[in-house]
Amino acid sequence: MTEQKYDPYFIDFPARIQRIQEEMGRRDIDVYLGSRLRTLSWTLDAFCPWRSYIVIPLQGLPTAFTFVIDASRVGDDSWLDPEHILGYAPMGGQDQISVISDLILQYLESGKGTVGIESGMAPYLPEGNLTHYEYECFHDALPDASLVNAHDIIDQLSLIKEFGEINRSREASRIVDVGHQAVYEAIKDGGYHGMTETEIAGLAAYVMRKEGSEWEWSFTAGNEIASGYRTGLAGGACTPASRKELKAGEPFMVDLHAMFRLCLGDHSHNYLLGPATERQRWHAQNFVDLVRLCLNTYKPGMTPSTIADELMEFCEEANFAEYMVPGFEHGIGMMGDEWRIGMNDGPFPYWTNPDHVYQPNHVLICAMQYACPEENIGFRYENPILITKDGCEPLSKFPLGIEEI
Amino acid sequence: MEKYKYISQEWAAEAYRRLRQELTAAKMKFVTSSMLTLNTNCPDGKDRAVYYRFENGVVDEVSICEGDFPKAEFTISGDYETFARISRAEIGSRSALMSGKLRLRGNMVKALSLAAVVDRMNGVLATIPTEY
Repeated sequence: MTEQKYDPYFIDFPARIQRIQEEMGRRDIDVYLGSRLRTLSWTLDAFCPWRSYIVIPLQGLPTAFTFVIDASRVGDDSWLDPEHILGYAPMGGQDQISVISDLILQYLESGKGTVGIESGMAPYLPEGNLTHYEYECFHDALPDASLVNAHDIIDQLSLIKEFGEINRSREASRIVDVGHQAVYEAIKDGGYHGMTETEIAGLAAYVMRKEGSEWEWSFTAGNEIASGYRTGLAGGACTPASRKELKAGEPFMVDLHAMFRLCLGDHSHNYLLGPATERQRWHAQNFVDLVRLCLNTYKPGMTPSTIADELMEFCEEANFAEYMVPGFEHGIGMMGDEWRIGMNDGPFPYWTNPDHVYQPNHVLICAMQYACPEENIGFRYENPILITKDGCEPLSKFPLGIEEI
Repeated sequence: MEKYKYISQEWAAEAYRRLRQELTAAKMKFVTSSMLTLNTNCPDGKDRAVYYRFENGVVDEVSICEGDFPKAEFTISGDYETFARISRAEIGSRSALMSGKLRLRGNMVKALSLAAVVDRMNGVLATIPTEY
């Protein structure tokens, strides 16, 4: 056993490639052309901020392509050797279509065969499906090959998280907890006076970076901070920090994001900036009760539908159902794997299947949004949870509560 | 002054002599690599290539190939006239690549790191009295 395998964050990437190749073989796919951010992270173990692709032949090592200005860095970060991380550039023979199709043709006998591509749609902007234009260009460059949509190979294989991936997620969550502690220290005892949402986002980012976070990965402008009416925007669950100043008597929501070796931490915590009213406390108690129930509800065999039904029934009985956004999860994994949970097999294409059955070693974000716009109050809870044999493990350990500051 | 016919055996021999004489291994960044410049549509209608091989920064081979072209780490292909214009310093090799007049095959990242070496080589090749 090599020293590398004692790394608690070790992921066997060559084995991942092999599993992809085995599935390609079963489907008579000669070459897989991946372009989604989630695919690149999951196969390369490197962050690819520029448009990138991975070409996986039926046998042997894959080759990734990224914008030439970043190819050396991606090669340095990835487990693949630099000969298998190539750059593309606006240059004769080196544009992305030419350089990739040239390589694919080397794997196709007389240019004939099947190329798996990644197509679809997503509410997540940087998903990275092959664009229509790219599809047409590859279609023209590979005239005797057929292009078939095959993203479900990666989706299926990445569903159950591996040991190293779970540990990376745990570490990302630990870092987020340090960020939350720093925010708490900064705002307590009236320390929030004069501070803005952007300042809170920045101080949390600084502390998390000191702990080793690679970035505040969320495309929602990093750490999401909201105060006052912005916490309770109707049906809302996305609050890039603004220049709004924190004020006494307002709710305050802190949604922090950290990344550790491409695995993502995402935890939201809420406060009432005192003095709080009884009505604010009532809202806060509703929310904390609901989160507690939700965390106790997640277990193997449950589905997004069954969880939503149970929780909405509780909200109805406690008389606050109208304030709840009726969804209690989103996906999470290595960078780029966000939003949709599971396979693309639900009633609405490329959305989470409400009947997706949770299994041990699924990791998802337990997510809840409470919003009462007419009273300018709202709360958000997000925490990556690991589905265990008989329940779930919240990876972020920052104590649940809505403290009055 | 004697003139060498472009991409002839004589031209290749002169290129070999001048490159070895004027470019030190340090100037060649001690590179070990190979490069094929494939000239299509030569005046006689054929495709013809110049094959360069470098060993630890020393030019080891400059040869002219027709028909079966050897494999090289980098292949730059383009019209004969484009290469001739580069050779006469009428256009730069970089702009020819950027405009798509030339096509490069090979690892782009490595090619970028060798761009200065190729510029130095082109500088020497441009001094060969050449007849097109």
